[in-house]
Amino acid sequence: MSKKIESAYIEGAKKAIASPTLQKSLDNIQDRFGKGAMQLWKELEDQGMRDRVKESRMRTLAHLDIILMELAQKVRKRGGKVFFARTAEEAVAYTLEVAQKNQVKSVVKGKSMTSMEIDIDPALEKAGIEVVETDLGEYIIQLAGDTPSHIIAPCIHMDRHDIGKLFTDKLGIEPTTDPPELTMAARKALREKLLSADMGITGCNLACAETGQIALVSNEGNIRMSTTMPRIHLALMGMERVTATTDEQRETLQLLTRGAALQKLSTYVSFNGGPKKEGDPDGPEEFHLVIIDNGRSKILADLEFRESLACIRCGACLNICPVYGKIGGHAYNSTYPGPIGAVITPLLDGVNKHADLCKGETLCGACLDVCPVKNDLPRMLSALRYKLAYGDNRWNVRQHNVKEAYVYAAWQKAISHSSAYRRMIKTARLLQKPFIGKNNMIKKMAGLASGWTDDRDLPPIAQRTFSEIWDEKYAKRQQQTPAIKEETNNEK
Amino acid sequence: MRNDLPFLDNIRKALNLPQGQERTKLTVPTLFEKPDKSATRRRIERRTYQEKQDLINIFSENCTNLGTKLHIAGSLKEAEDITVEIVRSRQPEFSYNRHIVLHDHPDIAAMQLWKRFNRESVTVHTTFSGDHETTEKTIASYIGITVPSISIAESGTLVQITSAGCPRSTSLVPSIHIALIRSETLVADLKEACCLLEDLKPEDSYVFISGPSKTADIEAHLVHGAHGPKEVHIILLKEEPQQLEPQAIQVESESPSEEKTESETPPEQACTLDDQAEETAEKS
Repeated sequence: MSKKIESAYIEGAKKAIASPTLQKSLDNIQDRFGKGAMQLWKELEDQGMRDRVKESRMRTLAHLDIILMELAQKVRKRGGKVFFARTAEEAVAYTLEVAQKNQVKSVVKGKSMTSMEIDIDPALEKAGIEVVETDLGEYIIQLAGDTPSHIIAPCIHMDRHDIGKLFTDKLGIEPTTDPPELTMAARKALREKLLSADMGITGCNLACAETGQIALVSNEGNIRMSTTMPRIHLALMGMERVTATTDEQRETLQLLTRGAALQKLSTYVSFNGGPKKEGDPDGPEEFHLVIIDNGRSKILADLEFRESLACIRCGACLNICPVYGKIGGHAYNSTYPGPIGAVITPLLDGVNKHADLCKGETLCGACLDVCPVKNDLPRMLSALRYKLAYGDNRWNVRQHNVKEAYVYAAWQKAISHSSAYRRMIKTARLLQKPFIGKNNMIKKMAGLASGWTDDRDLPPIAQRTFSEIWDEKYAKRQQQTPAIKEETNNEK
Repeated sequence: MRNDLPFLDNIRKALNLPQGQERTKLTVPTLFEKPDKSATRRRIERRTYQEKQDLINIFSENCTNLGTKLHIAGSLKEAEDITVEIVRSRQPEFSYNRHIVLHDHPDIAAMQLWKRFNRESVTVHTTFSGDHETTEKTIASYIGITVPSISIAESGTLVQITSAGCPRSTSLVPSIHIALIRSETLVADLKEACCLLEDLKPEDSYVFISGPSKTADIEAHLVHGAHGPKEVHIILLKEEPQQLEPQAIQVESESPSEEKTESETPPEQACTLDDQAEETAEKS
């Protein structure tokens, strides 16, 4: 069916399934982190923690106006600057303004998904500013001109041979495929950038309104470098990434590092807010916090989806999802891949545009089980499917597949009338005959239904339905109880 | 340019709040309520000697798992020897000059490391507040030595608080980080640590450090030393029970109503004094 125009999702999925490198890494990461997280939650001493954090996340969302106001006030009190950006464009414009006002020539970035969401790199580069990703995985991706495919392991689709070749080409090192040697080459190259950059741009894992400090986690130390050495630190924060008190911040961070990499704490958890203090020899002279809406308030307003803002971006759902485990991150065509991406990408960027995402997930419920804050992603995925099936004004969704809707309406009528249903099954048995292949499976269907058999064979409709068999064999015996006894005795 | 009002109005609209009415934190006082921490505080204060020993064992195990090297020192003199040994046995990573940089802290100053490298070409810098070359010196150094305020057994973590004489880069930029801690600063878990942090009220930034910098971005292969230190050494100064017990009893008998926290201070001083006495004894 090569002439059919396939969606980017299906194309991406096919490409991923065909890549042995990616399949191996996906298996590896899911085996370790997905299963590991499930085990960790089971063994967690404080079993109430996940519910408690979820409760505090939802409470925070319900009072976001108060908490953000308090956060802004506290950061400003520390001497930091706060900018509220309603859209991605506003956030980019502000960042550019800060950079240009301070004659910034080079920017080092700590891994930030929000920065990808608002697409800040092209804007900075267009203004003649050098932008360097400093997380090793992100740096490799940047050198390769690629996009990340996992929240915490951005370059899992590349193996040591790809990376070795890339480093030889771009960094001019001696050819090697040894991970420690490759890491040291990047360490050296990035150290120069980190020590000389004018501005550090990071995300924000979790801000705290009580203190006016933002918490940033990393294992590599690149985020500490980016927030310590450059003259300016600018943090991009999705507006929901905040807690009211330090107690909530602590517990939420504990779940984040556990969910992300099974760590009690990441190597570094740093708390910054405001510029360096009087007498500090290092630390930024200016601190900017950009709080970004970019479609989040619309999610906040809809109680059906508000829960998705409780997400703490640990990536655990990617590590357990059977669909992500096969198709990898690129197929999602979004900053946010995996089950959480399948929920928030459509909400942030258009439900029809990303219709494949919620339909591609299996609703198996594994993401709900592994989520540190027990976000009911399967529920939200089916809610999105509902909107696609029937259309929705609030989210501006048009019916995704009108023909399909007619078919299902007819199906609904047919299966609610038993005589019609039986007649239909009989006809279908006759019609399917020419399609049944040698393996006794249907290999190809025609028209609308062809999509079902593109990648797999379907079992044909059985010669007799269950109820027909039941009628014939067992139903009569219900009136004749002794007969059953007799038969069971015989079986013995 | 400020966007606060329309932005927050948007949120209020999303939350279905009446228009034009601004809620403040006083409207919902429970929002910023802090849980009662007296039980946690009591647990920290009333920890027995045996329980503290157990904490050290847990800390030691977690340090090993993280790749941190834990050295136990019975005195400041021993800590000094361990430090000197690390400086001597390691080579600079980014240059040929052997510079080391120390936080401006009494425990580090007491080691008098500047006296120890007379015959070797090791330059010892201290991050005195007001020195404009501190950053440059730190970048040139291959070892940074700090004294974290709190350490956490459960996760092998150091809590490093920034202040004028204790900058951020000392534990970050040099290839090797040596942390000198006293066993009294060791607590069981993050909850206890945050409880103490609340009392310390750090005005400046702070960081939790658990092990050396690491990455597993290439084929999930764990490599130490991505951007931060490749090696982390913790020198734990352990208080000795012989020194602690009689002192503690003495203080308690003098003023039985006094709080436990205060009774813990004198033995600490005693420990330092004894160490210094030992030092001078050895020198003579």
